[in-house]
Amino acid sequence: MKSESIAKYIVLSVFGLLILIVGLVLVKTLPDTTGIMRALPYICVGVGTGLFGGNLGTSIKIYILNKNPDIAKKVEIEAKDERNIAISNKAKAKAYDLMQIVFPALILAFALMQIDIYALLVIIVAYLFVSFSVAYYVNKFNKEM
Amino acid sequence: MKNRLEEIRKQRGITQEELAEVLEVSRQTISSLENGRYNPSIILAFKIARFFGMSIEDIFIYDEVEQNNEK
Repeated sequence: MKSESIAKYIVLSVFGLLILIVGLVLVKTLPDTTGIMRALPYICVGVGTGLFGGNLGTSIKIYILNKNPDIAKKVEIEAKDERNIAISNKAKAKAYDLMQIVFPALILAFALMQIDIYALLVIIVAYLFVSFSVAYYVNKFNKEM
Repeated sequence: MKNRLEEIRKQRGITQEELAEVLEVSRQTISSLENGRYNPSIILAFKIARFFGMSIEDIFIYDEVEQNNEK
């Protein structure tokens, strides 16, 4: 297995930690603000935590795999295993079928709850985007396969 | 799909782990193939056949009636 560079993930992790610290500082120093400045510190904390945790985890994983080529080989085989890929694809397809039921039900529920029309439109657009992307990929794969 | 993979593998004295390692698939894939729960891709079928020095038809048994019933 080709050993992956750890540096990129460390840099992103440090960047995430900095955003997290900035967010925490802003939470403490800007208690009475309105508008975007009220939400910004919490966005920083959220994004910072995600970046820090995700990239630190990835860098630890790469470090361990680089130290243990046997484990790396097994992980690579598991990731490329055709049955695992088939299972994953089947699970995604089933989840999509479920989403086709959940999404309209959610839209109907939100409509009945009389939520803001713009919020409802955003959800409908997202639903349509996903539905049209299926048509796009069916067409694309029809040409490729 | 039925197959003779387990029988052939045991004849050659190879474990599932060893076969999986050679074919670069997981041990669970070998187990599922042997149980007939999973049908391999044509590439994996060729790899298996070549590893044992046999043809695909010698290992995998195509039963048209069974395949039609599965649809």
